[in-house]
Amino acid sequence: MQYMILIYEPESAFEGEVGERRLTDVVAKHMALAGELTAAGIQKNGAGLQPVHTATTVVTDASGAQTLHDGPFAETHEQLGGYYLIEVADLDAALAIAKRVPVAPGGKVEVRPLIVY
Amino acid sequence: MEGRLIEAARGRVVAALAARFRDLDLAEEAFAEAAASAVEAWRRDFPDDPPAWLWRTACRKALDAVRRANTRKNAVHDAPPPEPTPEDAMIAADQPIPDERLRLIFVCCHPALDPAARIALTLKIVLGLSTDRLARAFLVAEPAMLQRITRAKQKIAVAGVPFEIPGPAAWPERLDAVLSTLEVAYAQAYEDAALTTETAAAFAPEVLRLSGLLADLLPGEPEVLALAALIRFAEARRPARLDDTGAMVPLSLQEPHLWRGDRIAEGAQLLDRAADLARPGPRQILAAIHGAHLSRQETGVTPWGDIARLYDALVMQRPGPVSEVNRAVAYAEAYDPDTGLRAFNAIPPQPTWLPWQAARAWLLDQTGQRAAAASAYDAALALGPPPAERLYLDRQRRRLG
Repeated sequence: MQYMILIYEPESAFEGEVGERRLTDVVAKHMALAGELTAAGIQKNGAGLQPVHTATTVVTDASGAQTLHDGPFAETHEQLGGYYLIEVADLDAALAIAKRVPVAPGGKVEVRPLIVY
Repeated sequence: MEGRLIEAARGRVVAALAARFRDLDLAEEAFAEAAASAVEAWRRDFPDDPPAWLWRTACRKALDAVRRANTRKNAVHDAPPPEPTPEDAMIAADQPIPDERLRLIFVCCHPALDPAARIALTLKIVLGLSTDRLARAFLVAEPAMLQRITRAKQKIAVAGVPFEIPGPAAWPERLDAVLSTLEVAYAQAYEDAALTTETAAAFAPEVLRLSGLLADLLPGEPEVLALAALIRFAEARRPARLDDTGAMVPLSLQEPHLWRGDRIAEGAQLLDRAADLARPGPRQILAAIHGAHLSRQETGVTPWGDIARLYDALVMQRPGPVSEVNRAVAYAEAYDPDTGLRAFNAIPPQPTWLPWQAARAWLLDQTGQRAAAASAYDAALALGPPPAERLYLDRQRRRLG
């Protein structure tokens, strides 16, 4: 089955001098994990995202009219910061990988199965 | 008689179907169809082995349903009838029903499922309780219960919850999810049973049954045996938990001759087996605490010193207000009330939590602080305790004037 692993973290965790060091550390861990998962044929895709201040949201209202908003679709304490797309046997295998995804303190990792068409 | 035979076979057959087809809805529907046709078929020709008949018939119904679904999906018109598959052959060969109930318990109690849905789903799939009965047991409306169960089933199917006994890496987490599901359910049944409704009381024996089944299926897991023991010890006390007026009787004041000796013996045997496995855990300590209380039936005295030491061990293994409040009360009995109150005062206050207020009132009362005790009883009563506990607390409060 294919699962999307979505990583939500407070962006503030990567700000300042401590944040910079943390970012270097977390990115290195992501690289190691992604390398391992790709080599094992588990990871199909994945990326980190630029901070939410770079986001633009297209809003379609009930009549179909579209407007653009500067920023993410929802202002939350944690923001979507990156994802892994993996293929494994079942939810337990996906959760085992999700637990290994490096996050800043307060980070959350969500696991969602993909719809198969 | 047919009805009882069918009900007795349900858990095992539904579990076996679900494990084979990896689909809980399909398993339940196929079993229901087989059960419906059994009534007619058995009247004509009563089978030698009714559960095996149900298993074979339900398997065929499930296979038919899978084929119909595949045919619809592939949109093949006028397709020839399918060839018999190896599965058909296996069913025809009178295979015994595999016991897949453990596997299904692990599926239904998966930690990725909503905790409130886990026990309901387990009781439904493994013990065959109806949605209506579950709704009454958990004090929710039937549509709400149906939705809870349906969502959990959908998540199992769509999110890919594995239909396997977990491997060694996942075992501790998955087993703990099963045990805490049962533990929380029993705690709820225990409270409701004595203290509120009669319908809810019928739910405690089902959790007792499930814990016994789990102990049979996992005889090498000490915490599983301990949980089964714990539930038996608690159920042993049920006849002594209310007085003639319907008020709660605290454990230390219960009449030991009212405790059920058969349940105590079962619990003691399970706990001995757990101890023989020599892998201590929090549920073994809890069961030992319950067992120590029940030893009063034999000896006439509660071994408070032992109980206080067991609580010390429990607080190490399972820190938190539940263990610590109970330990403070045990200290008051084992050492002196002031020691108990000092231990209690070290716990972060939980003023909206009834056991905290009730323990505080009792400890203040024991240490002779009548006015403070009275206002603590008032605070406890203001939290809206269930009827039996209200009667007890109210009596304590009035005694203080």
